[in-house]
Amino acid sequence: MSKIKDYFANKTNKSVFVPFFTLGDPHYEASVKYGQTILDSGADILELGIPFSDPVADGPVIQRAVARALKNPFDFAKIFQTTKQIHSHKPDRPLVYLTYFNPIYHCGVASFLDQAKDSGVEGLVIPDLPFDTQESEDLFAALEKRDMDLIHLITPATTKRRVQALKKTSSGFIYYVTSFGVTGERREFSLDLEERIRSLKEILQLPICAGFGISSPEQASQIAHYADGIIIGSAIQRIIEESGADTVACCQKLSEYCLSIRNSFP
Amino acid sequence: MGKYEAGYFGEFGGRYAPEILTEALEELESTYRKLKKNKKFQNELNFYLKNYVGRPSPLTYAERLTKEWGGANIWLKREDLNHTGAHKINNAIGQALLAKHMGKKRIIAETGAGQHGLATATVGAMFGLETIIYMGAVDVKRQNLNAKKIEMLGAKILPVTSGEATLKEATSEAMRDWALNVKTTHYIVGSAIGPHPFPTIVRDLQSLIGKETKKQFKKATKQLPDAVVACVGGGSNAIGMFHDFVKDKKVKLYGAEAGGMGQKPGEHSATITFGKTGFLHGTKTLIIQDTNGQIVPAHSVSAGLDYPGVGPEHAYLSTSGRVEYRMVTDEEALASFLEITRLEGIIPALETAHAFHVAKDVAKKLGKKKHLVVCLSGRGDKDVVEVLRILGGGKHE
Ligand SMILES: Cc1ncc(COP(=O)(O)O)c(C=O)c1O
Repeated sequence: MSKIKDYFANKTNKSVFVPFFTLGDPHYEASVKYGQTILDSGADILELGIPFSDPVADGPVIQRAVARALKNPFDFAKIFQTTKQIHSHKPDRPLVYLTYFNPIYHCGVASFLDQAKDSGVEGLVIPDLPFDTQESEDLFAALEKRDMDLIHLITPATTKRRVQALKKTSSGFIYYVTSFGVTGERREFSLDLEERIRSLKEILQLPICAGFGISSPEQASQIAHYADGIIIGSAIQRIIEESGADTVACCQKLSEYCLSIRNSFP
Repeated sequence: MGKYEAGYFGEFGGRYAPEILTEALEELESTYRKLKKNKKFQNELNFYLKNYVGRPSPLTYAERLTKEWGGANIWLKREDLNHTGAHKINNAIGQALLAKHMGKKRIIAETGAGQHGLATATVGAMFGLETIIYMGAVDVKRQNLNAKKIEMLGAKILPVTSGEATLKEATSEAMRDWALNVKTTHYIVGSAIGPHPFPTIVRDLQSLIGKETKKQFKKATKQLPDAVVACVGGGSNAIGMFHDFVKDKKVKLYGAEAGGMGQKPGEHSATITFGKTGFLHGTKTLIIQDTNGQIVPAHSVSAGLDYPGVGPEHAYLSTSGRVEYRMVTDEEALASFLEITRLEGIIPALETAHAFHVAKDVAKKLGKKKHLVVCLSGRGDKDVVEVLRILGGGKHE
């Protein structure tokens, strides 16, 4: 059984908190501190972004984070080492990588997965790899062999037919994209959010975590009533953007913010 | 490939786009499949191509070039004579009609040289569609005449400042816009790139270049040309020119890609020469990237070739060996730009100038009595200021 599946099965809260930030912003040493702080402040599952030069599914905040991260020479060894350091701080919390498919492809899928697993990573989110491709099927099989998960994205535009079709190759949880567009903080969500999430849960028999646009404790609290998890990226990345240069001050802000989100959950 | 075959050219192509775009891509694919066979739609398209674009474009015998180069007879397929001055309008009209059929009232596009932006802004004006053009901030500067025309036509330019602020970033930004507005908007992709079905749609809409060429050439000489040359950015004019010739094995096909300033990463856009298989902007193709799979910024003196990827069908045609792709440096392209201008009285686009450099070499090797056609993809008005800047100003400064 995958660690992520376990985690959802044993969770005590109604909903889990899944924060996201990009590794290497502004540098890898700071990422270790930020990761550890976020884990100390209520993160259940932590999503770590592996920077890719052309993040087409991301909005301006994460685009800027990636650009800052890539000012450091990109190096997979460094990514895995940083991940390991974050993981060793709270080994019971599953880590997930979010990245685009090209870097994984170039690293070599098997080698990437072995090193990721060894660093404490339990699942992958790949916004530009649709489930209905040969590469996704092969990746799913390779992950399954290692008890790791392939976390698919479902959006308000995903048809019922596609939801049925992706059943076979999804595991861990579903990343439900709450709104049209790219990542970024938003004020409003589609009206049928609750209904969509409930029906997806029923069809897929997987936990559904909602993300894209959530930033305030009020929004998180409201959605946490019916989603199995809340994913927050841009709001956290913005804190790192604004105070990342001062690691101590940034940790303080990250901690306050993450606790405010976690404590808002029912 | 098994069950995932649609939209692949050998191992290249496919649909590697964010999930939010899938429904729109499926809708586009099914609409296109229907309309492709629909007489009324084809008549409508042909009406605009004839009466608005000015097709068929002529095939011109280049007497002075032929003499000067001393080899094969040189023929020019005159896409520069199309309305708005390049092949891009063929695709823009077709896709705008598709947009109308899908009930979309807003169109967006990415542009490098500005020719695709100009073509899209033009059809946007003609069909009364709200039009947004994403253009790298660097390109807004170096292709300022086109940027001004686009705005005059009533379209809005959104300059993109991230990364290298050129075509790659403009493309990413257009994809992001589409993700947000996918219900109301059609994204008119400007080259034979992007997720399926774009490479196929763009190729089909441009394939009239090769079809007309063949007909015109046969009429003039009662045979097929010996060689055909076109420049390759994303590869739309080239695939349009090549498509109908691919099956004619005796016709040699050459693509010219941008060799830029040198062969180090970042100095060129020679995707086929230096690219490796990867995934960018929704397609699996050859891409200039580093060993970690990060995309390396591309460079070319011509904004329209300045892209680190290439249409997947070209990646396929190069690995299958059917088309030979060569790189041409900035300097060689500039020399060809001046040579063609002075010998033929035609100012070619800097993009096209790359094709002429390859044509010169191929023509010499082919020798006399042979025939070579160059796709003159566009005219160079847009490049005059930039060329003068690089060469150090004109006589009447
Ligand atoms: C005149 C001209 N030729 C060629 C190109 C390159 O595009 P493609 O390779 O899609 O034909 C451009 C692009 O802007 C162009 O303006």
